[in-house]
Amino acid sequence: MRRRKIALLVVAAIGVLLALLLPQIGGDYYVYIFALVFTNVILASSLRPSLTCGQLNIGHSGFMSIGAYTSALLAKNLGFPFEISLLSGALLATVVGLAIGYPALRLRGVYFAMVTVAFVEVIRLIAQIWVPLTRGMSGLSGIPKPSLLGMTLTTKAEQYYLVLFLMLVILLVLWRLESSRLGLIWKSIGMADNLAQSLGVDIAKHKLVAFALGCFFAGVAGAFYAHFVRFLFPPEFGFLMATNILVYNFVGGRGHFAGPIVGAIFLSLLSEPFRGSAYETIFFSLSMLLTILFLPGGLITLPSKLGGLRWWRTAPAPAPRPVG
Amino acid sequence: MTASLLVQSAIIGLSIGSIYILMALGLTLMFGMMHIINFAHGAVYMLGAFVIYYVYFQWGAPYFAAFLAAMLLLGIFGYLVERGIYRPIGGGIEPTLVALLALSTFLEAAGYPVFGQLDKHVPQVFEGTRNILGVMISVERLMIIPIAAALVVGLYLFIAKTKIGAAMRAIEQDKEAAALQGVNVHVINGLAFAIGFALAAASGALIAPIFKLDPMMGDQPLLKAFIIIILGGLGSIPGAILGGLMLGLIDSTVATALGAEPAFLLSFVFIILLLLFRPAGLFGHAPP
Repeated sequence: MRRRKIALLVVAAIGVLLALLLPQIGGDYYVYIFALVFTNVILASSLRPSLTCGQLNIGHSGFMSIGAYTSALLAKNLGFPFEISLLSGALLATVVGLAIGYPALRLRGVYFAMVTVAFVEVIRLIAQIWVPLTRGMSGLSGIPKPSLLGMTLTTKAEQYYLVLFLMLVILLVLWRLESSRLGLIWKSIGMADNLAQSLGVDIAKHKLVAFALGCFFAGVAGAFYAHFVRFLFPPEFGFLMATNILVYNFVGGRGHFAGPIVGAIFLSLLSEPFRGSAYETIFFSLSMLLTILFLPGGLITLPSKLGGLRWWRTAPAPAPRPVG
Repeated sequence: MTASLLVQSAIIGLSIGSIYILMALGLTLMFGMMHIINFAHGAVYMLGAFVIYYVYFQWGAPYFAAFLAAMLLLGIFGYLVERGIYRPIGGGIEPTLVALLALSTFLEAAGYPVFGQLDKHVPQVFEGTRNILGVMISVERLMIIPIAAALVVGLYLFIAKTKIGAAMRAIEQDKEAAALQGVNVHVINGLAFAIGFALAAASGALIAPIFKLDPMMGDQPLLKAFIIIILGGLGSIPGAILGGLMLGLIDSTVATALGAEPAFLLSFVFIILLLLFRPAGLFGHAPP
């Protein structure tokens, strides 16, 4: 176990190092793509606490949309500095999450899943109908670039470092929480909520906290996305994106903190050639189906599975024969 | 709103409500037996409509033959989905939901390259209008009501009177006990998938001559069906019928007064309130 942990830390350190060097190695194209990949990593990982509690949230992109529109409109119309508009977007996403989550989280499994699906449609419809504010289907453009302490981050590379920093901080927070007592409580709720409740865990409260935490970070991701891409279009944050966030978690693997990170990086990069076309969705849904049917633990279980097979070595030792 | 407008929206509400009921019945039947929600229901509705487009409009078969073909083809597809996805997963609710979600997005996305990017239209099947209480209603919309009613009665008789129906009720009550009594749970679950898919295909086939066809056309009816079964209580067949009628009527009256999108927002707010105060739905038993 200890060796595995060290190996994991080494992989993470190499990953961070490569991410830091990327703007020096690659061109603007890679900087742009990886900034979006990191946004996806934030989205995927922020869904994990809620999933660990056994809540199938198929509406996560709705909270991203709230964060994106709030931050964009505050900065564009009222001239809020980026730090404050980002925080306001994330907070509003959390407040809406609490309002939806309070009634919905008392429900289990499928009820909750259905409410979140309807929720993401409602958010999309509001963004579409409220034309005076959101510009509806013409899309919201002219969103200011992100800034820090009054200095505008003009180049994509600067904005890339911003999202890299945001992602690392959020991952660190989520990781600390998951390895704390709270993480154990979440796990216990996901495995057997009746048992957890009988041991004195306030399951409704903990589910709500896990859910609201995810909404906050989804709001952060949305706010960054708004100021990075600088164009918002309501259908972007629909049902499909919500499904994709779920797909990152399942394809990457549910059993480990690295699962959604691996899933988001792997799938976002592989689907990059056909981004925006129907083939992107076909690719996502097929990888989801194949993973669930043939690799239920997700991609992160692949190394140990291959190790168990040892297909590249000699045949396994023959079973001992009874003597005599 | 004048009286004639009210009558008109009531009748249109009844016919749209019938479509919702057919969608919701399959969902609630499958939920009652397997505790899963078929997220692919909207995609199956879409496929049902496209079967009508090809078999009735393009190949010129009679409408009712095309209608039966849609139910049969997608019924077989439903059985295969049980065989190829539900059964191998082995009963885990969460992976099953996610797999059905993936199936749904796959079918919808694949619809674009297969059926083409442009919206499709199916010409009228039943021509003309009828005068009902002083309001002119197109026969196309009126015909939905008896056909849907026949399917609902057929489903009721099938579940209440046949041996397979009894097996379905047994699985709904207690899967293990049903298996011990010699019910082949896998096959009966497969039949429930087939029936649910066939009903969704039927509603798509009924709507095909009225609305335009595109691969995403099933999303809205799917959400409506979700709202209906939450309203009626998951697993409850009378709840699905009453919920469908209610939502159809609310939908058409509010939509006439305010527009379709506010009507959807309103029904969602209603659901959130209902979940706050009566989580089991209006007619249902406590959530499992």
